[in-house]
Amino acid sequence: MKKKLLFILALMVTAVVATVDAKPKAQREMDEFRYEIQCAGNGVQGTYLVRVWTYNKKLKAALEACPRNAVHGVIFKGFVGGDGCVGQRALVREPGAEMEYEDFFNHFFASNGEYRKYISIVPGTEEQMKVDKVYKVGIVVSVQKDELRKALEAAGVIKSLNYGF
Amino acid sequence: MLLAVATLAATAQIKKPELMVIPSDVWCIQNGYFYEVENMGNKVKVPNYKQALQEDMGLKLAIAKLNDLMAERQFPLKSLEQTLKNIELQHAEDNLTVSKAGNDLAESPLDELARTAKCDIILELSWEMKDFGPKHSISYILEARDAYTGKSIGAATGTGKQSFTADVDVLLEEAIVANMDNFNNRLQDHFLEMQEIGREVTIDIKVFANNAAGVDLETEFDGEELIDIIQDWLQQNTVKGRFTMPYQSENIANFTQVRIPVYDNSGRAIDANGFAKQLAKMLKKAPYNIPCKVMVKGLGRAVIILGEK
Repeated sequence: MKKKLLFILALMVTAVVATVDAKPKAQREMDEFRYEIQCAGNGVQGTYLVRVWTYNKKLKAALEACPRNAVHGVIFKGFVGGDGCVGQRALVREPGAEMEYEDFFNHFFASNGEYRKYISIVPGTEEQMKVDKVYKVGIVVSVQKDELRKALEAAGVIKSLNYGF
Repeated sequence: MLLAVATLAATAQIKKPELMVIPSDVWCIQNGYFYEVENMGNKVKVPNYKQALQEDMGLKLAIAKLNDLMAERQFPLKSLEQTLKNIELQHAEDNLTVSKAGNDLAESPLDELARTAKCDIILELSWEMKDFGPKHSISYILEARDAYTGKSIGAATGTGKQSFTADVDVLLEEAIVANMDNFNNRLQDHFLEMQEIGREVTIDIKVFANNAAGVDLETEFDGEELIDIIQDWLQQNTVKGRFTMPYQSENIANFTQVRIPVYDNSGRAIDANGFAKQLAKMLKKAPYNIPCKVMVKGLGRAVIILGEK
């Protein structure tokens, strides 16, 4: 009887630990792509110039996620323009493509993933603030959208303008 | 066997639409590149593309930049300059200014270009410099039009950021680069739609008065009126049976929004003329044996006249 009680108690503790552990993990995953993207000027040919604002409880994590979020935003969100800055649609326009090509994007956005090939950070553009225990970090990133588009076309994620001809 | 399969695959390959950039009418007129001609008692301004290309460096730069960006997307543009030279060689230039003699313009210069260049899509370009004190800004419009129907496919428009740079070439290049992706997105939507539901044209059917064959659109063959036979043929030969008939009488039938296949069975691109000829061929055969004349009105419109050749 005592053993049974101990076993049940152990199970309950495991379940509680698992639940406690799962929440921060889910939160971490959500935080990874918790960002805003804005037009930061008309980039030179073949590039988009965007300012990306990333939210995270850890300053270092927010800073590290900015370039990746800039590429993610160009691929999936697009950005609005204004004041002479031209807004652009997302490179991927088919709904559900992120899920359909989940394996590709998991590798692409991994910590040393291919996305790094398509970014360059504009020096001296970093801004940061803390709101309700969350850091909001902004940085201007130049995204090589022509090369990025070609990579997505080669992977079959998006159709080329040439498609069907 | 393998060779035959490879050949079949090659012929089944869909051809690319051809695109050409021209300066818009409003840009040509604002910059003084136009003819003024008499047409039915009215003075009409007709764009002079040749003069614009010879005298405006900004236009040449814009076309070169657009060509560069489109070539990068595997869509090199057809040259307006070369097309104009071809027109000259064919002594077609007279047609551009025929109304100087007081005659009606049978075709606009744009129609003439589209027909001569056989391009599928016309990209109309215009821009204007605006001054805000010491600063300058450029307003830019690039509009794509289907050469077959004249309908707008999409446009990229915008006013650039104000700058102290007064060099129109620099601001124009920046505007083109910044707006090109949005423009190409619209172009791609059009291509995908065209591949799915065909190319849109207009077919008019008319009847020669008191024709020797004695036919009109209400003439019956095996108890079925000719207009119904034509509609059945269109139903079978248009993409997904798409067409509308806004007007019909015993002497005239107008078919609009006729979606024809982009290419025929042999892989050749067909326009309204080619499609109308297929219909005329059917009408000339037994049991109908109707003499027909097919007249071309640009890439996207054809007229079949029944009763005589």
